[in-house]
Amino acid sequence: MEFCADPSLISGWRWLACYLTTPKHQLFYLSFLTVFALLAITAPVVLLMGFAGAVARLSSFAPLRWLGTIYTSMVRGVPDVIFFLFVPIALDQLVELTRHKIKCPQVTDAVYRGNEFIVCSEAKMPLQDAAAWVHQGWGFVLAVIAFSIVFGAFAANTLFGALNAVPEKQLETARAFGFTERQTFRKIHVPQMWTYALPGLSNLWMILIKATPLLFLLGIEDIVYWARELGGSKTGYFAYPHPDWRLWYFLGLLVFYLLLTWLSGKVFDRLNQRFNRQNIDQQVLKPIEAGR
Amino acid sequence: MIELRDIHKAYGHIEVLKGISLTARRGDVIALIGSSGSGKSTLLRCANLLEIPQRGDIVFNGDTVRWANKLKGRQPADKNQVRRMRTNLSMVFQQFNLWAHMTVLQNVTEAPVSVLKKDPQLAEQQGRELLEKVGIGDKCDQYPSQLSGGQQQRAAIARALAMEPAAMLFDEPTSALDPELEAEVVKVIKTLAAEGRTMLIVTHDMKMAFDVANHVIFLHDGVIVEQGTPEHVFQQTQSERLQQFLHATGTIG
Ligand SMILES: Nc1ncnc2c1ncn2[C@@H]1O[C@H](COP(=O)(O)OP(=O)(O)OP(=O)(O)O)[C@@H](O)[C@H]1O
Ligand SMILES: [Mg+2]
Repeated sequence: MEFCADPSLISGWRWLACYLTTPKHQLFYLSFLTVFALLAITAPVVLLMGFAGAVARLSSFAPLRWLGTIYTSMVRGVPDVIFFLFVPIALDQLVELTRHKIKCPQVTDAVYRGNEFIVCSEAKMPLQDAAAWVHQGWGFVLAVIAFSIVFGAFAANTLFGALNAVPEKQLETARAFGFTERQTFRKIHVPQMWTYALPGLSNLWMILIKATPLLFLLGIEDIVYWARELGGSKTGYFAYPHPDWRLWYFLGLLVFYLLLTWLSGKVFDRLNQRFNRQNIDQQVLKPIEAGR
Repeated sequence: MIELRDIHKAYGHIEVLKGISLTARRGDVIALIGSSGSGKSTLLRCANLLEIPQRGDIVFNGDTVRWANKLKGRQPADKNQVRRMRTNLSMVFQQFNLWAHMTVLQNVTEAPVSVLKKDPQLAEQQGRELLEKVGIGDKCDQYPSQLSGGQQQRAAIARALAMEPAAMLFDEPTSALDPELEAEVVKVIKTLAAEGRTMLIVTHDMKMAFDVANHVIFLHDGVIVEQGTPEHVFQQTQSERLQQFLHATGTIG
């Protein structure tokens, strides 16, 4: 905007309007998209991983069952934050190590030297001279993978419980009518499972939303990063000097998260109502609810 | 049509069926009566292999179930044979067991379409006719939880009929129902009997057994104590056990 040309000459609302539309602020607004992108990509992947984990745990093939059990219980017993720190670093090192082995086989020095992890520069991921967005993008991919693994395990637990909650009689009836095991699973077991899974999944979605600031921990320039960055006090050296406004920025994030979880709650309530009205043998559901 | 030969079934050390044989010919309606825990349901479930008897044979339309010895004991050797049998032997359960996530009509058409590979449109048309026949043609698009018990059981009967089975198995089809609702279901079963369908009915309803069956089997402690025509069993009772049972159920005395 024209009148923003020299910020030192304006004040009041004009100043604020100019201030809130600086390029840095636009990056801040864009970083909300990062949060939404994370949610949008992670949620379906989590469901898939959870489904695979739950089915593996139910498998009659023992090694697969063990794998499913190990996967779900491993994550349950460890604080999430540890996983979020561990998985990206481990993945990063694994990828770089593999690239190191392939790209520069002539280097004979050990990769682990004392406390350091050193690969040849061609093996860096991304390359040292890559653009900033490539670094950010790679960090984001690692974050998505970490989120998917951790929340996939939670989802696997939920779906496993839900699959077990489907009354055996419903499945037995299908078998009595000549359904194959596969047909029984696809046509009766899975469709009925959702009703039991929904409360757990809605809970998980809320936790997932609330876990998104962990992006900051992984070095992604997310909304927390920008809130800190922009909120910090700015001396006269800056075009828009101001005292420490971090409180206001974080208050903004607070409101954002509250709105998001509140809205999600509404949507899940709707879904729940619909499922309960139609899909469930009320006689069967009651004792299960009471047991929770 | 259905022949059970010397069926033995035990859960752990508890022997529930101790050598039961019975034969149902085409058009037979056999009523299985006996006190609670005598093994009636278990016998019925053995007939369509929901339970696997440890000994004894099952012959269906001249087709004897083949067995294989597996780690967990005797199992049917041929899954397809079992499926073929089950599609010809529809079961109606005490608790109806309608699939809760499907409408009544979907409940009726699902198995014909996915198991018998019937054309969906034809299945739907026949499904509606069957629901009409059992008197709940107006409930097609409702979910099972929206129906009364008697309506649910009639939907379950329509679902069984939709398979065009050679024979039907009923496990206490009326005992989860109030007397009024019971009458609705008994009426449907009588119609089916009059059509000459082969049926095996486990029941506590002695009046229905008398009216509907042409053969009555009294089971006690896993053995057949007495059997014969309804007149024979109910009016010229031989064994003391059956007399006690009929007294206790208020049928005679
Ligand atoms: N899955 C099972 N595991 C262990 N015991 C069982 C099982 N199913 C049935 N039984 C036992 O077998 C016996 C016969 O059961 P069954 O259900 O066949 O009796 P029933 O004649 O149908 O009785 P009711 O009239 O009460 O339905 C009972 O003592 C029961 O406890
Ligand atoms: Mg029974």
